Amino acid sequence: MRLTELLGAEVVDQAGQLAGRVHDVRLVQDGPLLAGGFGASLRLDGLIVGRRAVGARLGYDRRRMRGPLPVKLLFGWARHDGRYVAWDRVERLEDGRVLISGSADDLPVPEATS
Amino acid sequence: MAGRTMDAGLHLLDRQLIDCDGRLAGKVDDLELEPPEGGGPPTVTAILAGPGALSRRIGGRFGAWLEAIANRLRDGDDQKPARVSFGVVKRVGSAIELSVPRADLETNRLEAWTRDHLIGKLPGAGDAPD
Amino acid sequence: MKRLFSVALGILTAIGGFVDIGDIVANSETGARFGMSLAWVVVVGVIGICLFAEMAGRVATVSGRAVFDLVRERLGARVALVNLVASFFITFLTLAAEIGGVALAIELATSVNYLLWAPLVAVLVWLVIWRVKFDIMENAFGLAGLALIVAAVALWKLHPDWGGLLHGATHPVVPQGEGHPSWWFFAIALLGAAMTPYEVFFFSSGAVEEGWSRADLITNRMNVYIGFPLGGLLSLVLMASATLFLEPGGIEPGHLSQVALPTVLVLGKLGLAVLLVGFFAATFGAALETGLSCGYSIAQYFGFQWGKFVRPAEAPRFHLVTLVSVVAGAGLVLTTLDPITVTEYSIVLSAAALPLTYFPILVVANDPDYMGDKVNSRFTNALGSVYLLLLVVVAVVTIPLMILTKAGS
Repeated sequence: MRLTELLGAEVVDQAGQLAGRVHDVRLVQDGPLLAGGFGASLRLDGLIVGRRAVGARLGYDRRRMRGPLPVKLLFGWARHDGRYVAWDRVERLEDGRVLISGSADDLPVPEATS
Repeated sequence: MAGRTMDAGLHLLDRQLIDCDGRLAGKVDDLELEPPEGGGPPTVTAILAGPGALSRRIGGRFGAWLEAIANRLRDGDDQKPARVSFGVVKRVGSAIELSVPRADLETNRLEAWTRDHLIGKLPGAGDAPD
Repeated sequence: MKRLFSVALGILTAIGGFVDIGDIVANSETGARFGMSLAWVVVVGVIGICLFAEMAGRVATVSGRAVFDLVRERLGARVALVNLVASFFITFLTLAAEIGGVALAIELATSVNYLLWAPLVAVLVWLVIWRVKFDIMENAFGLAGLALIVAAVALWKLHPDWGGLLHGATHPVVPQGEGHPSWWFFAIALLGAAMTPYEVFFFSSGAVEEGWSRADLITNRMNVYIGFPLGGLLSLVLMASATLFLEPGGIEPGHLSQVALPTVLVLGKLGLAVLLVGFFAATFGAALETGLSCGYSIAQYFGFQWGKFVRPAEAPRFHLVTLVSVVAGAGLVLTTLDPITVTEYSIVLSAAALPLTYFPILVVANDPDYMGDKVNSRFTNALGSVYLLLLVVVAVVTIPLMILTKAGS
C-alpha cells in the first residue's frame, strides 16, 4: 500500500459516521530490523484524523515550533479537532475510505510530537 | 522498548534524499508500506520517488498528465514508480541520508540519461568548478 | 584586514547588484509621471527586501538548505507546485526582460538594433553560467554595476533644487492631471521592482553555493543592511533624474536613451560610456541571476542536484533547465515584444506573487528544527507579519488595478 492511499482518506466508523480525513500517519521505529544501518523498521502505529491539515503540515503542532504570533494563532487554533485511530482499529481500506471498528466518538486525541 | 516516533507526512514526505557522497538524489514523493513476512502491522519498506510517484500526490488532471509522461519516459514496460528500498536509508534527520551513491538508485535514470545524452556532451561538463 | 576586504566587497557587490532593468524602468517611468511622490514606495520596498533577504540568507546559512527546497517540505507537494509554477513563470519573464535589457544597452552603445544582439546575449549569459566561477561572476558584475553611480554624479553636478526634490518625496500627493488608480498602480510596480522574488531564491541558493557558515551570518547581515539600501538610493537617483528631465516635458521614457539623457547632458560622451557599462553590468548580472534562479527553483522543488558548486556533469538536469530557460528567454525577446513592456509586466506580476514567496520563508525562519537558536527575533516576526499583510493586500489589488488603469497607461 502507498502512503498516498491513506492520506486524505475519509475515516468512517461502523455506523457510517465520519470521523474526519486522514491527515498524517504515525510511525514508530520498533518493527523488524532492516538490512542497512537504519535499525528497526518504521511500523505503522496509527492515523491522525481531523478536519484541518494546514497547521500540522506547517509544523505548528510541535511544541517547540515558534512563529509569528498571528500565523501561530491562525494555525494553532485549527488543530484542536484532531483524533487518533490506532492501526488495530482499522477494519479495512476501500478506495479513499478507511473503515474502523467501534464508534467515531471514542477516539483519543493524538499526542503532540516534539 | 519505546522506539522513535515520527509522523510520515511531517517528517518523511517531501524531504530531500542525500546520497553517501552528499549529492542530492530527489525527494520523498511517496512511501511504500507492506506488512512484514511474519504478519503484523505494515512497515515502511521503501521510498517512492520521481514523476510516477509525485503524480499521485498532486492528483487531479495535472497529476494524471504527469503520470502519463512518466510512463512514456520509462519505456512503458514498468508502470511502477522508482523505488528506493528503506534498507539503504542511513539516517532520518532534516533530510534523509542514504548509505549508497545515487548512481545505484532507480531514481537516477533520468539524471543519468540527461548527462549522457545532453549536458555531458557539452565541453567542460566534467570540469571541476574551480 | 582580509575580513574587512571581503565585507567591503560583499557590500559593493550588493549595491551594484541591486539595480536591474525592472528598477531602471520603474523608477524612470515613475519619476517622469509622478515626480518624487512615490519615493516612499522605494523605501518600503528596500526595507522589505532587506528583511526577507536576510531571513532567506540566514535560513540557507544555518540549515544548509535553500528556500525552494524547504518550501516544498513545509507546504507539501501540491501547494508548493502552485508556488513553483507562479514563481518560475515570473522569474522566466524577468529573465526575458533582463536579456532584452542587455540587448537594449548594447543597442544604445552601437546603434545596432537590439534584436540582433539578443541571441548573442543569450549565448554569453549561458557561457558565463556554464564556465565562470560563482563568486567571480557575482563580484565582477556587482562591482561593474557600480558604474551606475555616474548617474548620481550627473545629478549632483546639476545642482538641482534638492529642497524641491525632498519636498516632493516627503509629500506623497498625486500630481495634477494624474488619477489615483494609476498612482497606486505605479506604486505596486515600484514595489515589485524593489522586492523581486528571484532575489530571494538567488540569495538563499547563493549562500549555499558559496558555502556560507554561521561565521558568515554577520557578513550576510551587513551586505544586506548596508548594500541594499544604498542600491535603493541609486534607484531614487534614477527617479530624481527622470523627475528633473522628463516630468516637466511630460516625456514618458519608452526608451533607454531617455533614461540616459540627464547623464549625457551633464557629463557628455564619457558619462554616457560609464553609464552604459553600468546598464550592461546591472542587466547582465540580473540575467545571470534569473537564469540560475529558473534552474534553482525547479531543481529544488523536485530535489535533483543543483548548483555551480558541483561539476556540470553532476547536475545535468539543473543545467538543462537553465539552458532551456535562457534560450526561451531570448526567444521571447525575438518575438519583438517590446522589452520595456515585458519588464513592466514582470514587475507588476512579481508584486502580485510576493506573498507566495515570502510566507514560506517566514515560516521556515521560525522553525527551530532548521534554525536551531537562530530563529527570528520577535521584532523580525512582527515586521515580517506586517509586510506579509501588506503583500497580501497588494496581491489582491494588483490584477483589478491593472485592468482598471489599462496597465497604467
